[in-house]
Amino acid sequence: MKTPLFGAFGAPGPKHMLGAMQSIDGRMRKYGNQGEVDFCIVGVGSAGGVLLQRLARAGFSVVGLEAGPLWDTERDWVSDEAGSHKLYWNDLRITGGEHPLTLGANNSGKGVGGGSVHWAAFVPRLHPSDFRVYSEDGVGADWPICYEDLKPYYELLEREIPVSGPAYFPWGDPHGYPYGPHPMGGCGDILINGCTKLGIRVCIGGPVAILAGSHGKRPHCIYRGYCIQGCKVGAKQSTLISHVPNALEHGAEIRDSCMVSRINLARNGSSKSGTVTGVTYFDSQGHEAEQKAKAVIVCGYAIETPRLLLNSACPGFENGLANSSGTLGKYLMAQAGNVVLGRFPELIRMYKAPPAHAMTEEFYETDTKRGFARGFGIQTVGPLPIAFARQMTIAKGAWGWGMRRVMMDYNHWGAIALLGEILPWPDNRLELAAEKDKYGIPVTKVTFNLHDNDKKMIEYGKNKVMEVMSAAGAEEVVQEQRYAHLVGAARMGSDPRTSVVDGFGRTHDIPNLFVCDGSVMPTQGSANPGLTIQALAARTADYLIAQSQFGLKKGAHSSETPRIRYDLSPPDTWGKGVPHLK
Amino acid sequence: MKAKDVKPGKVIRVLDASTRPIDPATGKPLEPRAQPGYYPGYDVLSQQAFWDAATRKVVLDRVRKIPPIRFFTPDETDLFRAVCDRIIPQNDRDSDHQIVIVNFIDERLHENRLDGYRFENMPPDQKAYQLGLRAITEIAQHLYAKSFLGLTTLEQEFVLKTVHDGNPPAGHDIWKRMPVHRFWHLLVQDIVGIYYAHPYAWNEIGFGGPAYPRGYMRLENGDPEPWEVEEKRYEWEAPLGSPSADYGAIAGMSEHPGAPGQRGTH
Ligand SMILES: Cc1cc2nc3c(=O)[nH]c(=O)nc-3n(C[C@H](O)[C@H](O)[C@H](O)COP(=O)(O)OP(=O)(O)OC[C@H]3O[C@@H](n4cnc5c(N)ncnc54)[C@H](O)[C@@H]3O)c2cc1C
Ligand code: SF4
Repeated sequence: MKTPLFGAFGAPGPKHMLGAMQSIDGRMRKYGNQGEVDFCIVGVGSAGGVLLQRLARAGFSVVGLEAGPLWDTERDWVSDEAGSHKLYWNDLRITGGEHPLTLGANNSGKGVGGGSVHWAAFVPRLHPSDFRVYSEDGVGADWPICYEDLKPYYELLEREIPVSGPAYFPWGDPHGYPYGPHPMGGCGDILINGCTKLGIRVCIGGPVAILAGSHGKRPHCIYRGYCIQGCKVGAKQSTLISHVPNALEHGAEIRDSCMVSRINLARNGSSKSGTVTGVTYFDSQGHEAEQKAKAVIVCGYAIETPRLLLNSACPGFENGLANSSGTLGKYLMAQAGNVVLGRFPELIRMYKAPPAHAMTEEFYETDTKRGFARGFGIQTVGPLPIAFARQMTIAKGAWGWGMRRVMMDYNHWGAIALLGEILPWPDNRLELAAEKDKYGIPVTKVTFNLHDNDKKMIEYGKNKVMEVMSAAGAEEVVQEQRYAHLVGAARMGSDPRTSVVDGFGRTHDIPNLFVCDGSVMPTQGSANPGLTIQALAARTADYLIAQSQFGLKKGAHSSETPRIRYDLSPPDTWGKGVPHLK
Repeated sequence: MKAKDVKPGKVIRVLDASTRPIDPATGKPLEPRAQPGYYPGYDVLSQQAFWDAATRKVVLDRVRKIPPIRFFTPDETDLFRAVCDRIIPQNDRDSDHQIVIVNFIDERLHENRLDGYRFENMPPDQKAYQLGLRAITEIAQHLYAKSFLGLTTLEQEFVLKTVHDGNPPAGHDIWKRMPVHRFWHLLVQDIVGIYYAHPYAWNEIGFGGPAYPRGYMRLENGDPEPWEVEEKRYEWEAPLGSPSADYGAIAGMSEHPGAPGQRGTH
């Protein structure tokens, strides 16, 4: 057996590690659940992690309740596909409709960091047009905010997490990135070659929330390709490593393995109004407990957030909290994520390098000639053996000797994928099913149907991606249909009759109840949602901080845009990276 | 003969020439190998000292600790093992290097480890397996008037191919409770998920395996790392007449576009 110069790599030490070089120092503050805290955050995921950090740093008492564990990355994470199953939300959900979505490993995480633990970390921004889809195309919805409202937060988060990518990203609102682009892997080369042959602009080496240079206590990427299994290195951002350590230093408490089962409400007499008082949850031992808070912010993902609000129905709020509009659980979206696989005569070895490292947004905007509204992007992916074998069961219908044969050629295959905008539709929804989980909470039933515009977009987009794959020199091209990135289902809007929250995430119905995660998105564009989710969280934090002086239970004090708190970024944010445009 | 041509009720006999892949040069079956595939001499486990301890434990446990059977009955276990042997045939591997599959799926079902969802028209996974195995027995009886275990490997493949193709000639009351193509998916996705999680399979396909804390450095042009090996291809053909050697869409996929991929990518 070959051994490293200084012997085999040993077992992790006693410290709680967050990446190869960062650890949690000092003890976590404990508020206990006797008193009332300022803020209770349900779910410390992509949005929840950013929010927790901001609010703690601004001096508030804040408790984050997280259904999954507070990971020690050295002890808990592995460089292994099958061994990473525990990163996902694997509890039962029921899926149906004409085009049922697969859930679990295909969409959401459980544990501090949430979906940012297993995301591929592509971080494009939305385009300015995404905020006015209804005005421009007569489909979907408009956002109550515009691109300029979010732009400073995009810029802020791109530095905080931080993002590596080209100095000039040409689509949407053109901009550059603080860290330089990554080297190419096999799938990136395929995308570049294919796009170049067809005259399609393509951008390489990002934008990804993966370090191209070291940053604070985080080393840069080692190109091991296990991003979706959680980055043990700490090169790929998750809020667990970018924001949570700073939140804890500033006195935030994370109660992990605690599943919130309902949000409690004090009703104003017999009216249809009230304020929330806190939440009820099951702690890690399965005991029921309560946490009181001046305000509750639900950050549980586009499925668990509406589920919790629906399950918190009570007198006066029979259809669930914050659901006077009847839109809670509706307008759920997923992006079309068809994976196109190509076999090349030469070797590719696509398991090396981060799966996310090159993309094009050339087809992002509406082009009436194509016969459908909105568009799609094309991105690299890099399925490891199990994912690839499963794709082959679908893309080629492989099994038996055929499966063995195509898998022996794994190193000759490359993969790129569609990322297409599916529009928000009311019949794409989630509801509570009759079946219950181990806590007695009804499980979610998700219903999903593609509509005409969606089908046309997928057909066109899929063919375009296959064309790129062929142009790159693939001798055989197949594809697997897939959906990615659930968002929506508690959408923001200016009209309380047709939306759940306002432009800052405050529910229209209950002044001190907020939603902050992907579920507030009214449309989704064809950019991966993670950066937008974290940017929205930073913006909601600024709003909460500004409003808190007036008392959150009273409702919005003024609709003025809050000051952007550049002083609340985690350490290591400023003065880093390479000079960039703009 | 294609499974599609099989008339319900008609008993067909397929000559079991060989269960092993064939060397096209000689027309003879290939000898079983410790390591099939195009990367002779490549041994991912030889690199285990370069892996982090948590990963090493997970991978080595997979090789060394085979979980006991707790969910399937003994009869179901035998039947399911034969089914796994056809979905991922291992007749080209010598007996010391076969990858155990049934026990790991049994463990998942015993521990009720889910993938996070269930299709609305599917029973729970455990029930789906029990029903599916019953249906496979019925198809074998219907086509060959024998138990599945009593069939030749090629006959077994023909039975499974009817499920793959979405036109099983028997088990109709079962398929009313569970769409054929959904069961096929559950089955193949589980089985390939176990096989390709094993370091022997990584050797076979030339996958670099765990790479923390060392990382990879040769990212482009399919270049091997210093500790990986070059590809050395050889020709082989599936056993004569094997229906699984051909690729073909899973039936029902076009009418029911409802079998999207399960694994996240981007
Ligand atoms: C394989 C894969 C690759 C991806 N790649 C990308 C990518 O490249 N780029 C990108 O932008 N996006 C990507 N995504 C999507 C991205 O991960 C999600 O969009 C994002 O994490 C969602 O953020 P969120 O804050 O809405 O929810 P999450 O990050 O999922 O956080 C929700 C948290 O709340 C907790 N929670 C839920 N309910 C409760 C409760 N009742 N009590 C207590 N805690 C609760 C959960 O455990 C979880 O930790 C990918 C997703 C997958 C599956
Ligand atoms: S490829 Fe880079 S970012 Fe991805 S897991 Fe490996 S080190 Fe982390």
